[in-house]
Amino acid sequence: MALLATACAAPPTSGDGGASQEACLSCHRGLEHASATHSGCVSCHGGDPVAATKDAAHRGIYGLSNPSFAGRWEKGCGGCHRHQVERVRSSPMYTNAGMIRQIQATWEGEAPGVDFASVAGKSFDPRGGPIEHRSVGQLDNLSGELYRKFCARCHVARQNDAMDGAGHPAGCAACHFPYSEGATYRGGDPTMQGKSPFSASHEMRGLPPMEACLACHQRSGRHALSYQGLMDGNNGLVPTKGGGPGPIPGSDDRSFSHIAPDVHFAAGMECIDCHTAREVMGDGYLAPDMAAQLEVRCEDCHGDGTQRPRFAEVARESDPPVVESKQYAVRISVGDRAALTSRGRPFSNVVLRDGEVVLFTKRTGRRLVSPVVTGSPEHHLAGHERLTCAACHSRSVVQCYGCHTTYDKRGTGFDFVNNQDTVGFFSETEDVRSLYPFPLALDRSGRIAPVTPGCQTFVTAIEADGTVSLDDQVLRYKGKPQLRFAAFFGHNTGTKAIGCVECHGNPQFFGFGQHVIEDGAVRGTLLCEKNPKKPLDGFLAMEQGRVVSHAAITREGARPLDHDEVRAVLSVNLCLPCHSRADDPVYRKPLRFEDLDDATHRRALARLR
Amino acid sequence: MRRIAALWLACASALALALCSAPPPAAAVAAAPASVSTACLTCHASAAAALTGPMATRADERAFTHRAFGPVEGERFFTQSCAGCHVTSCSDCHGAATHPVGRPRDEACLRCHREDSVGAAYHGRAPREDHPRYQRGPKGESGEHYLSMLPDVHQERGMTCADCHRMGAHGHDAAKSTRTCRDCHRAPRPDVPEHAIGAHLEKMRCSACHAAWAAQEYGTFLVRPQTPEQREAFSVLPQQGDWRKSAVHKRQDAPPLGLDADGLVAPIRPKLVLFATDPARGWENRLLAAEWAPFEPHTVRRGSVACGGCHDQPRRFVLEADADRVLRPDLDGLALRSFWNRAGQTVRGGAFLPGPRHAAMNRKTDTYVRESLRQWQNLLRRAEPPSAR
Repeated sequence: MALLATACAAPPTSGDGGASQEACLSCHRGLEHASATHSGCVSCHGGDPVAATKDAAHRGIYGLSNPSFAGRWEKGCGGCHRHQVERVRSSPMYTNAGMIRQIQATWEGEAPGVDFASVAGKSFDPRGGPIEHRSVGQLDNLSGELYRKFCARCHVARQNDAMDGAGHPAGCAACHFPYSEGATYRGGDPTMQGKSPFSASHEMRGLPPMEACLACHQRSGRHALSYQGLMDGNNGLVPTKGGGPGPIPGSDDRSFSHIAPDVHFAAGMECIDCHTAREVMGDGYLAPDMAAQLEVRCEDCHGDGTQRPRFAEVARESDPPVVESKQYAVRISVGDRAALTSRGRPFSNVVLRDGEVVLFTKRTGRRLVSPVVTGSPEHHLAGHERLTCAACHSRSVVQCYGCHTTYDKRGTGFDFVNNQDTVGFFSETEDVRSLYPFPLALDRSGRIAPVTPGCQTFVTAIEADGTVSLDDQVLRYKGKPQLRFAAFFGHNTGTKAIGCVECHGNPQFFGFGQHVIEDGAVRGTLLCEKNPKKPLDGFLAMEQGRVVSHAAITREGARPLDHDEVRAVLSVNLCLPCHSRADDPVYRKPLRFEDLDDATHRRALARLR
Repeated sequence: MRRIAALWLACASALALALCSAPPPAAAVAAAPASVSTACLTCHASAAAALTGPMATRADERAFTHRAFGPVEGERFFTQSCAGCHVTSCSDCHGAATHPVGRPRDEACLRCHREDSVGAAYHGRAPREDHPRYQRGPKGESGEHYLSMLPDVHQERGMTCADCHRMGAHGHDAAKSTRTCRDCHRAPRPDVPEHAIGAHLEKMRCSACHAAWAAQEYGTFLVRPQTPEQREAFSVLPQQGDWRKSAVHKRQDAPPLGLDADGLVAPIRPKLVLFATDPARGWENRLLAAEWAPFEPHTVRRGSVACGGCHDQPRRFVLEADADRVLRPDLDGLALRSFWNRAGQTVRGGAFLPGPRHAAMNRKTDTYVRESLRQWQNLLRRAEPPSAR
């Protein structure tokens, strides 16, 4: 089919001559060219370019007959970009398989053996093994309903008609022809002028702008908000804007207000300046979830305590940095030394120049020198080997405490997978939102990272006859009812790290929530209303000298700090009053707290009395 | 019908002003004919002060509204929004019955002392955000939703409001009728490291350390919508007269510290940092007041935060540096660079801790090092030793 479509398109002979041969432009006069290399109409859109009437010309056009517009990108884009379309179809953003598995695990308990995805299909795991997905349309439980009626709205293969900044076209166009300016066409084609939802212009965005990412990533983790210094806070609708809700009206009657932006955003970097095309569009092999799909780490540009960023020489014209940077403001050439991601693959915009790590922003070519931290005492502290950069360098981490979800079978909700209203309506309330401080725990790789509620779901289910079958219930995870946190990179990074005393002296940073310390106990002060012995904004408490964990950190291998680890973190407070600087020699090797009883310390401490 | 209740909880230094999101439901409070009071006073003459004191007149609140809005609009606002909670009769707290009459139960106090009042805090309740998304969970005596917090240790042990606050608290000199911490806890335990520091005992209120948390509202916001679209958009927010009430930011953690009227370090909170939008007046995000007040949070616990919870925490003393800001109200059109920076703000009935004193308390003196070590050693001693790995 793809070949057929291409054949019908009557390939242009030169320049934009193809376009002018098509009668489409007799109506769509003034329509912008998609790009210099995308000139004809029919090669992307299908239809009949020489038909005399609008209806005849549009007959068979890709997409219009299909609400998901799937044909447009399979036939339209896929005809030429088959490799990219196939990559995207085995990427987490398309399958949503990891997201669905996680909701299943946390709402219904793990169900090994059967994998669901946004659509049924086959793909390959990173080791090349076959994966077969059933459609989430068949996941007949609450978690399936949640995906279909909440999460699926943002699915990349599905058009989302929202005009409040949260909408996007389906497929490739979601990122490359994103909606902007109220999702309304504002270009030069009079037949399309003012129509919505359409992208503002017919110019292709080869490099997706931030608003494309923002359309989806302003929910849940809210990365695209935090990164540019926005938050949706308490929905207070104030400060006002022109007497109406403000300061920045957001989607779904939310209001966004300002926080300090990520240092990279302030330096002029967009989402695509860190995130590679392989991360976003996939590499052909389906990672089990989003985190496993990522390959970029802070260390790739900044180094870690002991290892500087790694580079490899770009050897061939066909190497990804050369190919990908063709549409960047600054091109990478054979002979350049490209920085490598955690998987050893090259960046196409970060290179070694005169001994410096230099990043060029993809769209504008701004030259940014990346500071390398390797060897600095702050980044070479014995005991901090397991810390992620974000543990100290996050300015804030969005935390939504208490997600109370009601599923009411007396109403209906739109099912974005099966495209129809079905029985069951979701609604949601919340307890508290917080940005700072934030808790830390071990992530799946055993590193200490910020965590955020993921999720603290309390589920109420109301049957068709009004009976309440679940009453604000904490769901079972790993065999017992418990709230959950998940490792989370908040995308609100600062140059200044959290101070030693600020973290070690405040158990809120290791998961106790806001608290008081009394008689061998660390007690939370913001409580779970279901169990007033447990903190709502934390997962640890110390009771009678023993650290107990009240919630799970999701993902295999992730967990809260244990008793011994909490004790070790707290013990550092015995050193910090005198050894307050990171370059103090005591921090070059593991601390020996028993040294506090040696002659040197006894003498020093005796002088204090 | 007048809606009413008691101010047994009023602390002498605390301005008990709250912008109430809704008056208490009429059904919750008995109608109170003034004749009841007249009859009571024939025997209980000394109780007369309760009917002319701050709880009856709410003079502080009225003065605030006049300061913030100007006398005309202030009086109007006061009448619409504050006058709902004031004492008009003995029966407001003691019930409509004649003798036998007992001490008011806490429920009577909580009808007015709700939301961000310290009476609610004493019972482990903090106000929720104003938007309906956050209005859920258990409800208090007047139907207000609250967050579940750790209650005051005295409440946990069964003490009621009236155990500390006596009848005279209604009158003009509440301090004389209120038990203080030291009335019962005469000698602070000397083995507590923090108590070994002279400055702590001499220059601080007990609550500066022992108040575990407090409801704090940064940027109380009033909007008077003008157009039908604006009225519709703000209709989700609680109503106060013809205003809609919101807030830029609420917290319920350990409160900032400043100085009380006696110069002692005490908990302080915004009371009120108030903004208003009123298109008819040409007001958009106009700062009407930036006033803080010392208060007793009524969330006492045996313990406290660690030393580092106050020392080296400029934010806690409303001295946040620009570089440390997380929220940026200035970028949202508000005339404050930070809620936790004292520039442009004042403390009524107290003061912010002077800069030089703040610098002095962050010096790592021998005493600080010694007692800080002792504090952590105490906790670590109580924590079980590491298990053999």
